[in-house]
Amino acid sequence: MTRLNSNQILGLIIALLAVGYLAMAFQIPDFPLPRPIDSDLFPKVLGFTLFGLAVMLFLEKPKDRDIPDEIGPEERAKPLLLRPWSRVVITSLAIVAYALLLVPVGFVLTSLALSFGLAWYFGYRRHGVNLATSLGVVLLLYLAMTRGMDVYLPQGILPF
Amino acid sequence: MDAFNNLMYGFGIALEPTNIAYVFIGVFAGTIIGMLPGLGPISALALMIPVTFAMEPSSGLILMAGVYYGAIFGGSTSSILLNAPGVAGTVATAFDGYPMARKGLAGKALAIAAYASFIGGTISVVFLMLVAPVLGRVAVSFGPAEYFALMVLGLTAVVTLSDKSLVKGLIAAVVGVMISIMGIDLQTGTERYTFGTTHLLDGIDFLVVALGVFALAEVFYMLLRGGGGKEQPRNAIGSLRLSRSEIKEIAGPVGRSSVLGFFVGVLPGAGATVASFLGYSMEKRIAKDGDTFGKGNIKGLAAPETANNAACTGSFVPLLILGVPGSGTTAVLLGALLVMGVSPGPMMLEQRPDVFWGVIASMYIGNIMLLVLNLPLIPLIAKILDMPRPLLLSLILIFCMIGVYGTSFSVFDLLLLLGFGLLGLGMRLFGFPAAPLILALILGNIMEESMRRALQISGGDWSIFIDKPISLALLIIAVLSLCLPLVKKVILQARQTRG
Amino acid sequence: MTAKNSLKRLTLLALPLAAVAASTAHADEWAPTRSIEYIAPANPGGGWDTLVRTTARVIQEEGLAERNFAAINVPGGGGAVAWAQIARDSGNPHKLFAASPPIILVPLAGTSRYDHSDFTPIARLITDYSIVLVSADSDYESLTDLVEAIRDNPGLSVGGGSAPGSMDHIAMAGMASAAGLNASDINYVPFSGGGEAMTNLMGGHVEAVITGAGEASGQLEEGSDIRAIGVSAPERMGGVLADVPTYQEQGIDYTFDIWRGVMGAPDMPAEAVAYYEDLFAQMLETDGWASARDQLGWIDAYQGSEEFGAFLDEQKEQFSEVLSELGLRGE
Repeated sequence: MTRLNSNQILGLIIALLAVGYLAMAFQIPDFPLPRPIDSDLFPKVLGFTLFGLAVMLFLEKPKDRDIPDEIGPEERAKPLLLRPWSRVVITSLAIVAYALLLVPVGFVLTSLALSFGLAWYFGYRRHGVNLATSLGVVLLLYLAMTRGMDVYLPQGILPF
Repeated sequence: MDAFNNLMYGFGIALEPTNIAYVFIGVFAGTIIGMLPGLGPISALALMIPVTFAMEPSSGLILMAGVYYGAIFGGSTSSILLNAPGVAGTVATAFDGYPMARKGLAGKALAIAAYASFIGGTISVVFLMLVAPVLGRVAVSFGPAEYFALMVLGLTAVVTLSDKSLVKGLIAAVVGVMISIMGIDLQTGTERYTFGTTHLLDGIDFLVVALGVFALAEVFYMLLRGGGGKEQPRNAIGSLRLSRSEIKEIAGPVGRSSVLGFFVGVLPGAGATVASFLGYSMEKRIAKDGDTFGKGNIKGLAAPETANNAACTGSFVPLLILGVPGSGTTAVLLGALLVMGVSPGPMMLEQRPDVFWGVIASMYIGNIMLLVLNLPLIPLIAKILDMPRPLLLSLILIFCMIGVYGTSFSVFDLLLLLGFGLLGLGMRLFGFPAAPLILALILGNIMEESMRRALQISGGDWSIFIDKPISLALLIIAVLSLCLPLVKKVILQARQTRG
Repeated sequence: MTAKNSLKRLTLLALPLAAVAASTAHADEWAPTRSIEYIAPANPGGGWDTLVRTTARVIQEEGLAERNFAAINVPGGGGAVAWAQIARDSGNPHKLFAASPPIILVPLAGTSRYDHSDFTPIARLITDYSIVLVSADSDYESLTDLVEAIRDNPGLSVGGGSAPGSMDHIAMAGMASAAGLNASDINYVPFSGGGEAMTNLMGGHVEAVITGAGEASGQLEEGSDIRAIGVSAPERMGGVLADVPTYQEQGIDYTFDIWRGVMGAPDMPAEAVAYYEDLFAQMLETDGWASARDQLGWIDAYQGSEEFGAFLDEQKEQFSEVLSELGLRGE
């Protein structure tokens, strides 16, 4: 048995998604008043279309893929936390942490930590400049929104 | 010479020193609001209403209109430099603007955007002045059936926007429609795909998806490719000058998109975003080098930038002539006018000519100010790209997060943003185009709603779509625009096999 | 302060104070100890947001409260997101929000777990009414004409600015029902706002439209393409709407209020309720309020906490009835 090519794998995943989507579409309740087209028709059509497209993708020959260049030896030599995919994962985790801490800790501190911390992690070593830029941007945005436009942003543990 | 006299009268109002100051403040604030992702013109205007309470109505509208078209003008900057659309209307600007910036042509891209915005804005003001009173009828002639047909026509652009693989483009488009219909279905009040959470009742905000699959995905992509601190410094700005041949090249797209953008803007509910997409796909379709669109083609930048500014002006037609808002932003403007004691509508031209002509004249001045204000700033703003890469990436992230939180005030949306960032990265790695997804996201929901609304009115009779001449014409154009490229392909293939 | 004013205030105060236990009647001097979170359960620019920002501004400008009223937007789900958030904050005396009929209708439609009974009514402030519009050259001269036409042809399309089962639909269906039609005979076509519905009326795409009188009044001046044939107020309104007959004048015994008021977190202490009630009553008397109200076309309709609570219960009953008749009553 030959290995599946990338389009075939993607086709299978998308087909599965389409099936899940359709399963939900069939659970959309009927509207009690007569409607020429009820809420469930479009989702059903979309679900079947996606399934059909997944089949076509399965049959399509993959063209040259847009995958990043093979990871060079120097990248591989880096510690685990600095390798390319680790960078994506850690950045994502930082965003999750930011989202969860935004309200309790407050807008200014979390944004500052995210901006400063990520720039550091991405390899920026001039911490003074980093801190000044991050603080400047965050404070400017915060004041513009809260004072200038009267939009409420979470204060958190800071007094302003 | 009636229009001329009216215009002179308008300039008399717009050129009063205080009003000139308001135009300036408006376009300046608008540019800044537009540049910052998430700070859309809607919230900015809503929050300005109390300020305009005490103002002369013409001054108030001059100020607020300035913020509105200034924001569309400024929104292109972050689209081009950061791939992070500042406002919804400038998403299509990123398609070719950002690749240009990546090639070291940021200065030129920003200059083209500024000129295109200026010309689009100015040509459409001329239209507004000359034909606005007649256009009220055109705006109301679009009912649900006509909107459905227009959306179908818009969606056919998916074919032109997906060049690598049609199947992948179509998949992206279907997913886009799927996202657009999430939330409460307006036609029945039924929940669809909300997964039991109140956060999804209103569906997913367009900006969350756009910032995710463009800006955040781009950050991730750079991280993957080893976008650490070592990227070689490059001349990020480049020259601002356009060559004669480049001017010639974009003259056509700018002219066509001005007209298209204005008329799309006149239609209530369509607006700058739809106009910019239609402008982009129209130019891509008729261009000889259509396959270089999306890779930094200057026509692909000029067309949507012209169209969105023209549409912004066009959207003042339903507002001022009919007194009905065509978009969220003009709804806020309408509210502000009512508060100031002016009720826009058919009688406004007679009752408050000062407001009508004053605003029109102020738009000429505002557009010139925007150009003069923005051109010298380009080298300065484009310096952003000279920033060390790690710092720039972290700032783009912060901008996206603040942009999303500032419009929805929802932590849930921040997590969604991350989800769409990862989706965008995956799409990029496996060759799925993002533009069809965004296009379908904008048009899909309006298409479904208009179709069902039309059928609700006709009692389920499908002939409503072909009985109405405008709807029929649009549908025929849609079918033709789908068939022509296919026919072309078939003929080419036949020739090749023969040869 | 005039004698008349303080007398009025006394009566306003007396009601809720009498309602609560005797022990709290003495603890009257409650005042906020920090700034008040004043929530608009929607994006900037809408009706709730305007109410929140206008009242906060008047209270501040008139120096009625020592503490700041901080306007906060919590959009989503037609209010459901904000309500879920506020419902978790039981007993918090520093959390208020703007409310209107959706706080009853959205839960009835099943998209919010919380309804008005989960929160503390503070005060009803203003009201608007619904209005039925037809195009200027239409054959329908009166509401009765329209009702008769619907009786003959239930397919006749009536546009409104919100989903079926929400405000505009209920207002229309309730009227139809009072006029002797079957509520579900209305071919209600939902648009995404009153403005869009009116545009479609001008273009002749629908036969009639129901929307808020305030929103429509800008459209009803001389030379307009549309015409009003009935308003849901108990008596005639002023300004451009003075010529529009009420439903009752046309023999249809039905009124519909689009009220707006302020509610607080669940189980708010009685003395805090009394404080806010008094505050809003005072605010309604100020010149700053009068000018803002007139500019926005609002009509004062004050009710104190207890009266407002009873009104809300009554509204819920009325709405459930219409929804049952439409067959839209969930569960």
